[in-house]
Amino acid sequence: MRELAAWGVPWSRIQQGDREVIINSQKVTITERAEAQGLVAQRDFGGTKKWRTCYVSDGTGHAMLQTVSDQAIGASIPVHERTEAIALIHDGSRCYGAIVRNLITGELVAYVAKATAIATGGAGRIYRVTTNAVICEGIGTAIALETGVATLGNMEAVQFHPTGIFPAGILVTEGCRGDGGLLRDVDGHRFMPDYEPEKKELASRDVVSRRMEEHIGKGKGVQSRFGEHLWLDITLLGERHIKHNLREVYEICQHFMGVDPVKDWIPVRPAQHYTMGGVRTDHTGESATLKGLFAAGEAACWDMHGFNRLGGNSVAETVVAGMIVGEFIADYCDRPENEVDVPMGLVHGFLRTEQAKIDALINGRGSESGDAIRQRMQEIMTSKVGIFRRGEDLASAVEELQQLLVKSRNIGLRYKVRGANPELVTAYRVQKMLKLALCVAYGAHTRTESRGAHFRQDFPRRNDAEWLKRTLATWKGDDTLPTLAYEPLDIGRMELPPGWRGYGAKDYIDHPDTPKRAAEVEALKQQLAGQSRFAVQEALLPYAAKLPKSLQGRNERIDEMFTNEAAK
Amino acid sequence: MTDTAVQAAHTADAAPVAHRRLRFNILRYNPQDTGSVPRMQTYELEEADGMTLFIALNEIKEKQDPSLQYDFVCRAGICGSCGMLINGRPTLACRTLTKNLDAEITLAPLPFFELIGDLSVDTGKWMRGMSERLEGWLHAKGPEPDLRRLEERMDPAVADQVYELDRCIECGCCVAGCGTARMREDFVGAVGLNRVARFKIDPRDRRSDEDYYEVIGDDDGVFGCMSMLACHDVCPKNLPLATQIAFMRRKMVAIGWKK
Amino acid sequence: MNTSTEVIAGVGLADQARKSLWPARLDWLQSASGLLLALFMWGHMFFVSSILISKDAMWTITKMFEGYFFFGTAHPWIVSVVVACVIVLFVGHAFLALRKFPINYTQYKLFRGHQKLLRHGDTTLWFWQVFTGFALFFLASVHLYLMLTRPHLIGPYESADRVWTENMWPLYILLLLAVEMHGGIGLYRLAVKWGWFAGSDANASRKNLKTLKWAITVFFLVLGFATLAAYIKIGIEHAPNYGQHYVPTWLQNAPGAVK
Ligand SMILES: Cc1cc2nc3c(=O)[nH]c(=O)nc-3n(C[C@H](O)[C@H](O)[C@H](O)COP(=O)(O)OP(=O)(O)OC[C@H]3O[C@@H](n4cnc5c(N)ncnc54)[C@H](O)[C@@H]3O)c2cc1C
Ligand code: HEM
Ligand code: HEM
Ligand code: SF4
Ligand code: F3S
Ligand code: FES
Repeated sequence: MRELAAWGVPWSRIQQGDREVIINSQKVTITERAEAQGLVAQRDFGGTKKWRTCYVSDGTGHAMLQTVSDQAIGASIPVHERTEAIALIHDGSRCYGAIVRNLITGELVAYVAKATAIATGGAGRIYRVTTNAVICEGIGTAIALETGVATLGNMEAVQFHPTGIFPAGILVTEGCRGDGGLLRDVDGHRFMPDYEPEKKELASRDVVSRRMEEHIGKGKGVQSRFGEHLWLDITLLGERHIKHNLREVYEICQHFMGVDPVKDWIPVRPAQHYTMGGVRTDHTGESATLKGLFAAGEAACWDMHGFNRLGGNSVAETVVAGMIVGEFIADYCDRPENEVDVPMGLVHGFLRTEQAKIDALINGRGSESGDAIRQRMQEIMTSKVGIFRRGEDLASAVEELQQLLVKSRNIGLRYKVRGANPELVTAYRVQKMLKLALCVAYGAHTRTESRGAHFRQDFPRRNDAEWLKRTLATWKGDDTLPTLAYEPLDIGRMELPPGWRGYGAKDYIDHPDTPKRAAEVEALKQQLAGQSRFAVQEALLPYAAKLPKSLQGRNERIDEMFTNEAAK
Repeated sequence: MTDTAVQAAHTADAAPVAHRRLRFNILRYNPQDTGSVPRMQTYELEEADGMTLFIALNEIKEKQDPSLQYDFVCRAGICGSCGMLINGRPTLACRTLTKNLDAEITLAPLPFFELIGDLSVDTGKWMRGMSERLEGWLHAKGPEPDLRRLEERMDPAVADQVYELDRCIECGCCVAGCGTARMREDFVGAVGLNRVARFKIDPRDRRSDEDYYEVIGDDDGVFGCMSMLACHDVCPKNLPLATQIAFMRRKMVAIGWKK
Repeated sequence: MNTSTEVIAGVGLADQARKSLWPARLDWLQSASGLLLALFMWGHMFFVSSILISKDAMWTITKMFEGYFFFGTAHPWIVSVVVACVIVLFVGHAFLALRKFPINYTQYKLFRGHQKLLRHGDTTLWFWQVFTGFALFFLASVHLYLMLTRPHLIGPYESADRVWTENMWPLYILLLLAVEMHGGIGLYRLAVKWGWFAGSDANASRKNLKTLKWAITVFFLVLGFATLAAYIKIGIEHAPNYGQHYVPTWLQNAPGAVK
């Protein structure tokens, strides 16, 4: 955050003195200390205990992106816009770069590199209803999968957000419910209290999403041309509150639906929101199985999130990973043993293969429509691999997705132009997206438990005894299914051995090692009582050595100021 | 109000309201394709509740014409990639509701920028060039700060002001709407002048007015602007472009008379 | 100024030759000359419209400008000097404004196409300002030349004869329309260009400025046409006595009055 501040992000800053905030629908006065005046402010977000989310008014992500992009321009770093990686060049053990298609001219270019990083974001568009941008199609993740060597981790872990506006899927903030907004069904009935008498609308993201789908499943959704939805009612919050505290929501409703939330209800339905899974990496961001391939951000499974994700953590991950993984990549490139001896035949081979695939699409006699396959895939994912997952639905989803994958090998184009050609792009992308969809569906089918965002109606309990492990997917040749493997987690090294996470039912099956580790942690904590938090951390879960050299060491805080010498 | 909403839902349920048939006249041209000449093509489509141009264009592409080119990324009004001329006015297509338009809708690509095809233009390339020309990045004051120490303090009100100007999404609507830019292709546009104003008010930037004069002190810069204010009126983010250009103009003219 | 360049060294600014300060000055001069001309025109319209009060009032004002009440005799060359100054201002302003004209047919065509497509108020106003400015070039020149060369022929009858018998009225109708539109738009543009009167809500004050602009234009047009009508009326009545000078009432019956 400090680096971004130095680069120009206009972080919202602390104003000393009193101010009023709403916490759980209650007005509370907070007093900021004089010493904090002008430092980067932090706020509550996504129900975390500690207020720790730095923000820039109502446009954090945009401000961060703008600044990083400015700095890239300042450093004369070229950005090749409107180009897309469609395959990785590799020899089965080392990655040598990527085959990239120019989306304007259609030309294929081989980028040869010592290190290749995938930072292509999530794969929300394998779903029909998603809060994600149109470009979040997961192609970067898919081309890693297509190497047959790199693994994808935890692809079945997909987060859904309760209040995507319908049908566009644009997100409206949780603040609506936090401040007292209600969910209603086709009859105008407030249904959440029926399911969650205690927390009602304020239950956690996954629970609310599930209940909404359950209610729609009971035929209580509102019919529309684009499917069914429910209503979010914030009219009771009053005009002033909506126009001031929920300004963004107000604008979204106006611009995208022509709805005035002061008077009207907002059509909503849970929407796919975040891909926790991605290219499996170690702590340096490098794939364990394909040397020279790195991944960062939402496209990576860097283990920052696990099977769920806390609000505010993703944009933080992008910059933190950018900093840490970026440093590791630079180190990697500097090491003499990582010098590349590029086998040019290999590069040309990949180039030819990719060109041949595209030629086949353009010149071939395929009869399937890429758009139709894509829509069907999105339908299946949304209806069968969504929030509620059931064995038979998942099985039929896997079945049909496989058929689609086979069909997708027979796509034909109506518009046979090599350059900018949206139909061609859909065609080759849907082939890749189907593989990701299958990783998600098949992984979800195989994982017979519920964990985080993955909820199996037929296996509602978390089962640490059998499933405390990471799913690893690889894709072999012309298979129609991924090959799954599982990597157990080592409880013996955890700072927080798996227990009740503070939400949801306290209904899970413990791992046999958990009690032992829990006792160990407890003992360590007692033993070190009174010591500095750094010492406790070091004993419980040492991590400093895993950071790049330049990032080790403590950070100054307002309550832990450096004296001048201690700075070193 | 509660009742009407339920009722509306019920009516929709019982007897679907007759929707308008929309006619889209879209400028088609693919400069990559030597055989292509600019022409208007018409598509018809049944309107739906809450239909935006994003939804409409996707439907046209998926069901009628797979070759239609256009750009959407966030489809939520925050990325700036979907600027186009809607009935002659540059604006964001993703947040334009068809119900606010007549049944006959004319779409054309943003002028001024390099055309990629149909409704798709390369704003990114121009924006990058503009930023390079104006040095549109923070020029930090001192040497690199020690990131482990507390960050430099900043007045909360100033931080908010900087953010107000940082809200620009580089959609290009202001440039496409500007008559000056149409006549003089080297003009930096309101987006560029706003960028400079953003750094000018940022206390972390070390540049002085003289330095800014070097980049915008001519007729391709702030003195080129002829106050037509279309930029201000079309900006989808409602940036205070008129006041920012005036602000930079006052500062830059002051430099002109300084000696 | 130099220190800041040194600090900037390494990012590119230092290597460039310093930019000319003239664009800043010219921009300022253009506005200043426009402002002076516009304010002059306000005064001018009031002086000329004194005919609406009475011929004597007009005569008094004319003689005042000729220094009659100061020296005791009329010195029309004083008017010539003033006219010369206005001509300098006028030519200077026109010269500066020329920089903003579409410089060739391509630019003109681009702009007109743009204006028609966009249908945006202030952009259209700009076109009218340029158009009227262009017209003023010819219309006002004729008028100014006459005022410069025949300062002694200004007065209730003299002017009326010129307007009617010398057939100046068609030119004056056009000149009046052109100058009032041009000046009105110009003053409004000046305010938004420099951010004057922006206040806390710039959009609201711009709206007010625009209303004010129209009000002023209408006021001066009404005043101007009434004045013109008065001159025409006097001109028709006085046509038989064309060439005869006006003598104020109080001198007409005085002993030894010039007839
Ligand atoms: C509506 C919404 C609200 C959110 N709100 C929050 C929030 O409040 N807090 C929070 O922490 N997180 C939030 N998130 C999540 C967060 O925004 C994302 O997780 C994060 O932006 C991901 O960043 P990234 O850099 O990994 O990927 P992205 O930002 O998705 O960038 C990926 C880039 O890769 C490019 N790309 C993709 N494929 C290819 C290819 N094959 N070749 C070349 N380039 C390619 C894309 O064009 C894109 O530029 C939100 C997400 C959404 C959708
Ligand atoms: C030959 C005669 C004239 C020509 C060709 C001319 C032309 C122009 C043009 C093209 C502009 C617009 C400049 C821009 O957009 O930046 C302008 C501005 C202006 N003109 Fe004139 N003009 C003439 C005479 C006058 C007269 C007689 C007046 C007085 C009423 C006047 C008052 C103004 C004002 C106030 C402005 C605004 C200045 C600015 O924007 O900086 N002009 N003129
Ligand atoms: C110092 C310079 C000027 C002097 C002394 C002057 C004087 C006069 C006089 C005496 C008249 C009355 C008619 C006549 O006698 O012909 C007149 C009318 C007029 N002048 Fe000027 N003028 C000057 C500059 C200008 C300029 C610069 C403009 C516009 C660009 C202008 C526009 C007009 C118009 C439109 C009328 C007709 C007004 C009406 O009838 O309502 N004058 N002027
Ligand atoms: S200033 Fe406004 S119109 Fe111009 S690019 Fe930025 S957001 Fe778009
Ligand atoms: S439209 Fe153009 S002329 Fe100036 S005020 Fe805006 S940049
Ligand atoms: S698609 Fe992003 S602004 Fe419209």
